[in-house]
Amino acid sequence: MEKITKSLKVGEKIPSLTKTAYMPIDPNARNVIHTDEYARDFGMRGALIGGSTLLSYVLEMLYNYFGQDWFYHGKINVSLVGGGAINGDIVTAHGVVKAIEKEVDSTRLKLDVYLENQMQGKIVVGEASCSIT
Amino acid sequence: MSETSGWKALPIGLEMGPLELVLDNNTVKQRVELVQWENHEPVDKLGVTPPGITIANHALMKFTAWPDLRASIWAKSEHEFLKPMKVGSRIYIRGKIIDKYVKRNRNYVVAEYETVNEDGEVLMRSRETAVYVE
Repeated sequence: MEKITKSLKVGEKIPSLTKTAYMPIDPNARNVIHTDEYARDFGMRGALIGGSTLLSYVLEMLYNYFGQDWFYHGKINVSLVGGGAINGDIVTAHGVVKAIEKEVDSTRLKLDVYLENQMQGKIVVGEASCSIT
Repeated sequence: MSETSGWKALPIGLEMGPLELVLDNNTVKQRVELVQWENHEPVDKLGVTPPGITIANHALMKFTAWPDLRASIWAKSEHEFLKPMKVGSRIYIRGKIIDKYVKRNRNYVVAEYETVNEDGEVLMRSRETAVYVE
């Protein structure tokens, strides 16, 4: 677990996390955007990996950094952009410190977060924050 | 689709759920494997689920509540984590449509979800915007 230090500065990157995106493809999926046929008709490269799965990749990076504080004080606000991810994409979650704000009994760290694919295309963008006790 | 079905008929304020989930070992393990969660600390040392592993259920609630929905494409999501979810516990998720709008010829739905434990304590709050395809 990364130790969060007082020397943290705006612009600093937290440790990134890379995964090979994967989700089982069910041709009878209730949400047809997770099937190859419909997703291609919709203009995608193939069956889209679920947004909650992509979000999990970002959340694991944040948990690795903030530890148990995330369970009580974590906030995230993200958008899906750039066509999402399909099976086999290599995706990397990133976080960059954008603000450090003093609260009454803690410090809230605000980050720009994003998930990018192997073509350096961003597929999830947004911000996250957590109070460090 | 007519005015009485599909996206046009969805009323703001429509509630979904509650969805009851038991976070038993198998359920947690399956989700952890699906999202390739590699950090074993939450489950093995703390006895809690990794954050966010119940979020996939929000989409399932929509498909259960809205029979005309063919595809729900995630556009935005916000989540606030307030308390950890214990492995072995029972949780309840309640959802509600809070807005809908059209942008670039696509129909969007905004829904809020609240996840509580058996004592009624709020564990997570979410607001999600998705494209509604019928």
